[in-house]
Amino acid sequence: MKHISRRSILKTAAGAAAALSASPQIATSLAKITDETPGCFFEKEFGISDQLCRKVLSAALAKGGDYADIFFEHTVNNYLVLEDGKVNRSSCEISLGVGIRTICGDQVGYGFTQELSEKSMLSAATTAASIADSSPNKPAGKFISMEISDFYPLKTLMTNVPLEDKLKIVQELNTQIFQRSPLITKAQISLSENHKQILIINSLGTKTSDQQPLSHLSASIVAEKDGKQEQERYYLGGRCGFEYYNQETINTIADEAVKRVLTLFDATIPPAGEIPVVVGPDSGVLLHEAIGHGMEADFNRKGTSTYATMLNQKVAQSDVTIVDDGTNLNLAGSINVDDEGTPGQCTVLVEKGILRGYLHDRISAKHYGVSPTGNGRRESFEHYVVPRMRNTYMMSGSDNEEDIIRSVKNGIYVKSVSNGQVKIGEGDFAFYVSQGNLIEDGKLTAPIKDVNIMGNGPKMLRNITRVADNLAFSRSAIGRCGKDGQSVPVGFGMPTVLVKSLTVGGRKS
Amino acid sequence: MSCNKSELAQTAMKIALKAGANECRITISNTRLVEIKYREMKPENIKEASKNEMTILLYVNGRFSSQRTCDLRNNALETFITNAVKQTALLAEDPFRSLPDQKLYKIPKEIDLENIDPNYNNLSTEARHNIAYKIENECRKIAGDNLISANAEISDSFQDTLVLASNGFEGQTQSTSYSVGASIALQDEGTRRPNGYYYANTTRYKDLPPVEFVAKEAVERTKRLIGGKKIKTQTLPIIIENRQVPRILYGLLAAMYGRNIQQKQSFLANKKGRVIASPKLTIIDDPFIKRGQGSRLFDSEGIASGKRAIIENGRLNNFYIDWYYSRKLNCTPTTGTPSNLVITPGNRSLTDIMKDLGKGILVTGFIGGNSNSTTGDMSLGIIGEMFENGEIVQPVSEMNIADNHLTFWNKLIETANDNWEYSSRRTPSLVFDNIVVAGV
Repeated sequence: MKHISRRSILKTAAGAAAALSASPQIATSLAKITDETPGCFFEKEFGISDQLCRKVLSAALAKGGDYADIFFEHTVNNYLVLEDGKVNRSSCEISLGVGIRTICGDQVGYGFTQELSEKSMLSAATTAASIADSSPNKPAGKFISMEISDFYPLKTLMTNVPLEDKLKIVQELNTQIFQRSPLITKAQISLSENHKQILIINSLGTKTSDQQPLSHLSASIVAEKDGKQEQERYYLGGRCGFEYYNQETINTIADEAVKRVLTLFDATIPPAGEIPVVVGPDSGVLLHEAIGHGMEADFNRKGTSTYATMLNQKVAQSDVTIVDDGTNLNLAGSINVDDEGTPGQCTVLVEKGILRGYLHDRISAKHYGVSPTGNGRRESFEHYVVPRMRNTYMMSGSDNEEDIIRSVKNGIYVKSVSNGQVKIGEGDFAFYVSQGNLIEDGKLTAPIKDVNIMGNGPKMLRNITRVADNLAFSRSAIGRCGKDGQSVPVGFGMPTVLVKSLTVGGRKS
Repeated sequence: MSCNKSELAQTAMKIALKAGANECRITISNTRLVEIKYREMKPENIKEASKNEMTILLYVNGRFSSQRTCDLRNNALETFITNAVKQTALLAEDPFRSLPDQKLYKIPKEIDLENIDPNYNNLSTEARHNIAYKIENECRKIAGDNLISANAEISDSFQDTLVLASNGFEGQTQSTSYSVGASIALQDEGTRRPNGYYYANTTRYKDLPPVEFVAKEAVERTKRLIGGKKIKTQTLPIIIENRQVPRILYGLLAAMYGRNIQQKQSFLANKKGRVIASPKLTIIDDPFIKRGQGSRLFDSEGIASGKRAIIENGRLNNFYIDWYYSRKLNCTPTTGTPSNLVITPGNRSLTDIMKDLGKGILVTGFIGGNSNSTTGDMSLGIIGEMFENGEIVQPVSEMNIADNHLTFWNKLIETANDNWEYSSRRTPSLVFDNIVVAGV
């Protein structure tokens, strides 16, 4: 992606942020695009030199420890809201700070500060160093900048777009929604954007930086019919530029939001109990919960995951291949580099039904004697790294979606889901179906809504009996995944699959 | 920075007003936090830090924006605020945006909420390590041979917040909080490794439960998950354990917020003054509980706190309406967010209730699910124990309950006398009749 001047961002991001509310003149004068890297930004703005970093890393290793790193972050979050027909609210949040980590075996010491002064950083380093208790180690004498790939190519950074242009988009989406149905009574439209710059310097002598944009355009709408009200939300986005929010995207959001909310008036709640479930391509949360979390290597090295003893064992039929991938262009979970300096990459979890590997950060990779997989992530400089997913998806199989549906006598089809959760040790998971249909005699019939589906990860994997050839990544599938009090953006994708049976939480026995 | 907070807020306000804001509210907060986790009888994670941030709400010729920054250097602030004011002026006018009426600012200053632990600075790093070590050690002593992992943790924080509004409000709050707990993983049949936990949060250190109790609860609660499986779908009484009640209460509260009412996303919008639940349900919002974790003399807008019955004997008496939505809805503001929520307890213990109830399920955890604030429909995964005449007969997992809030809360038949004290949600265990529990 193109690099924006960090000095400019820092100056203008205050307020509703240049990105969000600047006039064209302000945007031009204060947020011009340059080739400056985040490393240069932190050096120019705060005097972060290699010499200072060596000093801080030396302090972090003053009591020993195997490894130390410094994570600098500057993030701008902008949010623009239309409510009751007017764009009448904006917010901006600037986050700036540095986290210092010392690793000693599988132990982590961590300090952070919002002041990028030598004194504050040395104090944070002293906190980090307290995890160890031996003789001092020294960081590398020289830091080598690491080249990384670009998995979020874009034309125009959201932070470079004048407010007027963003207002038009938000207002146009509102107009399109109300044009589609007289039953719509309320619409709240929001445009959210996040621009994160990071610089990671470690005691092994590598220096890595990245800029990570993330945005989405959302419509939350309410419709009223015969005295009943229903609500739905639909959004699109990812690590994309302003060009993504064109008329086609706006129309898609309006079409889907209105279609989905109107469908709910005819929706029913299915009977409770175990039934076959066909899971459609927009429902990748299933994999995220059923297998993804259990494959995060920290849970496995501690023995607390149900998958801890299944490495290289058959866990699914041979047409099931599942990966976690940081390299998909412009998806929410894509990362050029993780938050401890490992390049973004694709990691195979299940290959033709065999469980092949876990998702590693540096600590777990060392534990297992493998290379880190680029899954060391954190919400911000206030948090230390833990293994996290990126974009988790199943590869296409050879079946046809229509054939799969036709093969089910009585079941449900899951179109879209939310609110997944898993119990790592047991493997039990749940996800919430916001849109779907009953399947009766091999045909999609009445729409369904508001139903939770429960299952067990390993059992569900074994029960995937058919995999269609229609893998899709939904740009509406921007997830915020929570773990250890931290939230990171993730993506999902999957082909249509048939799960022989899951528990559907209905209201009638 | 702490001693200069008022001065800094005044400076920020002057910059905003000079730049063209008609009104503004400045909130500055400082937080210090320490977190120590133990695993395998050694520190697994040590974390310590301080953070500062300023939030500025700007009202510029009827336009509104909110800003937050941690860069509190004077020059940076001036640029930040001046640009923010200019940019706020570009938004659409909203006649309902303003600071609250000054009449709402009358804070009852004579009340000491005991939000601060006077001995906060006396807790040493060594003492923290010692507590975490002891908890893990106790867990290991009693867990047995099938222990896979034991984590113990202590964390604490100190927060100091100043709020200054241009129409005359100034208020400061200071609070401390402590948390201790343990999480346990045990080996079950096959590949199942139940994870259980026990955590307690308090305002004062001396109110924390003893380390032996924390360890015992964490291990015992995990042992009770062993053998969990789903059972036949059936209609049963259920008891939601005291500390799990907030998860289901959340869906009811969501329909009480001014934003959802004004935006037609509330199934309770036209129910104020009407009976919506069993007469057994009384929910009090009480901001004046000493050492309560949600206690406060004023809310984030500066509106003076008041004790309110949200639901009284099943009747919906109050909504959560902040200043902005009170103007949009043309009603009196209350407060935008709950403080401490107390569900009035009953007279009997959980044990006694279970003995008399016959067969039912004690829900000890929720998983996934959702609640629709517009329709009231909800569906939640549950974890728990089937009991008969007071005896646990089968741990259950992979099961689900679904209902609509307007019918569900009318199925409440009893509240236990065991309000959970380690949270701002002081809820007792609740007994519901005729609930469809979905399983096999």
